[in-house]
Amino acid sequence: MTTTSTTTAMIATGPLGTAPAPREPGSPILEAEGLAAAHKPRSPMRDADGLVVGHKPGSPILDASGLAVGRAGAPVLAGIALAIAPGERIALVGANGSGKTTLLRALAGLDRLLAGTIRWEGAALPTGADRVRTVGVLFQGEVGSRFTVRELVGLGLGLDGPASAAAQRQVDAAIAWAQLAALADRSCAALSGGELQRALLARAVVAGPRAVVLDEPTNHLDPAGRAMVHALLDRLRGRVAVIVATHELELAATCDRIALLHGGRLAALGTPGEVLTPAQLAAALGVQIRRLDDPDGGPPLFRVIAARTASQEAA
Amino acid sequence: MTTAQRASAAPARDPGRAGVDHGEPQPHAMAPPHRGAARDPAAARRVRPRTVILGFAVACAVVGVIAICVGSTGWRSPWAWDAMVGELRAPRVLLGGLVGAALALAGVAMQAVLHNDLADPYVLGISGGASVGAVASLALCPGIAPGPAAAAGAAGAAVVVRALARGPHDPTRLLLAGVAVGSILGSATGLILVLAPDSNLLRSSTSWLFGGMGTPRWSALTAPAAVIAVAAAWLARQAQRIDRLALGSDVAAALGVAVPRLRRRVLAVAVVLTAFAVAAAGLVGFVGLIAPHAARRLVGQPHRALIPLAGLLGALLVMAADAVARTAFAPREVPVGLVTASLGGPMFLWQLQRGAR
Repeated sequence: MTTTSTTTAMIATGPLGTAPAPREPGSPILEAEGLAAAHKPRSPMRDADGLVVGHKPGSPILDASGLAVGRAGAPVLAGIALAIAPGERIALVGANGSGKTTLLRALAGLDRLLAGTIRWEGAALPTGADRVRTVGVLFQGEVGSRFTVRELVGLGLGLDGPASAAAQRQVDAAIAWAQLAALADRSCAALSGGELQRALLARAVVAGPRAVVLDEPTNHLDPAGRAMVHALLDRLRGRVAVIVATHELELAATCDRIALLHGGRLAALGTPGEVLTPAQLAAALGVQIRRLDDPDGGPPLFRVIAARTASQEAA
Repeated sequence: MTTAQRASAAPARDPGRAGVDHGEPQPHAMAPPHRGAARDPAAARRVRPRTVILGFAVACAVVGVIAICVGSTGWRSPWAWDAMVGELRAPRVLLGGLVGAALALAGVAMQAVLHNDLADPYVLGISGGASVGAVASLALCPGIAPGPAAAAGAAGAAVVVRALARGPHDPTRLLLAGVAVGSILGSATGLILVLAPDSNLLRSSTSWLFGGMGTPRWSALTAPAAVIAVAAAWLARQAQRIDRLALGSDVAAALGVAVPRLRRRVLAVAVVLTAFAVAAAGLVGFVGLIAPHAARRLVGQPHRALIPLAGLLGALLVMAADAVARTAFAPREVPVGLVTASLGGPMFLWQLQRGAR
């Protein structure tokens, strides 16, 4: 993280005051991986490594304010304000039913908002094939389809025409990124859970999006599968903004910021050090959690001590 | 199915083949040995889709020519183009090809919208609606061909089913509404047949209900040909969007597809194609189920190849079945739907057995 500072991504109080900047046709965020070869950027902002991190210094890639989602009268989410800087990694943490998935769906443009605005780079989420160049998605519970890995990843390009050679290279690069080159022509139905998850991640990033929205990407995975997903996310660091809903506090601890959701509201928003405290976690998750710092300097571990009892809840 | 369930189910699917060396390099150490590698349908799909489509286009043409040559009055060589061939056999064979293509394309479209490989063009109450239309037409105005009334009944039933299952898209509700409406319309058909005073109605209705091209004139081919060409071209243009429907509504929407609109249009195209097929040839069973299924085995799920190949397979199947229908019990003719069902059923079972092994 060379240019992204969390101070540029404070909670926004309203829509951006500035006029929306003209959108580039595509974002070579993953240029170094060869993932965005098909896009021709006009004036991208680059960090010290030459990686594209956005097109306007300091402007949030995503700016959501006053969000309310759900049924009128009984919103699942209310009063959510969130701004995310280019290349930032932010975790959504909260109990089941706290609104993580609902927030991700709203950010990906799937649900109608009861109130509030969501601006992606100062504009509404584009429709059609441009959408995948703004935000890639990985939802929960996708089953293995009969597409091959290559076909599945190719669908992430949002193409509406014949696949060009450049598009093919982009697909191959994304498959190589996900370490699935040997399985590229295998049916997704024949993949293990971890392999399928990596294929879906490749589909999320293949178009070179500014951001990816991931709903519990390590759910149901074995330790090796989790480690591989973590490694893939690390390779996106600073290049693609990652918004990840997770129950895995160890993954959340590696993020730049954490949004703690409780009962459809933002209970806390800040760095892992600020949010992943026993008091905050106990309030939002209903468990006593002890934080164990890794003496080798790795991310901290979290250990559940006890579920809070009903009397504690009442108190 | 959750990831965990899938992971536990996967080895059971193929117990004897764990770690089979499938001759592919494993460039990275973290790739585990692969279950089911040798049985992977994708691995069997080594021939390029374009080659498969081209091959079946040629096969389709060959079968068409042979079908024109054979008939209840014996073999006519392809170059002896007389009135028998030019006015009777050729238009019928071509109409058979059009009907088969229409049913196969409608099957692909229905399966994509309903997320169900067992959907065929006649789900959503279409067969029941077509039967009521045809039988009512035969009972009330025996002199007129029942095709238009059947098409109107088919489309009407589909519209009713769609209206009954309105709200958030739910394939199960659509299918169940189709089953219910189809059963009501089926009993209405039976009632007309039983109560009608005309004793010939049962016989004429039966031959229509089992499907058959009759003896169409060339002029009868223009409308179906135009409609099917337009529908096929439109479906082919939407191929990549239809692919994304298979990933689920949410993912498809996130990938930039206007999901409800696409689904509505694909469904409408399927109903129009089926209505034209019904108008031309009555109820020809099984083609709309087996042609998409076989095409999928050959070129996989992507609709870019699936749509043209399914259309070709459907055309081939009905032309061949019609040739059998005309010659097997010559000089008598059997309804083509009986042939497609009696040949298609065993073929389908064979495919299922292969898939289960």
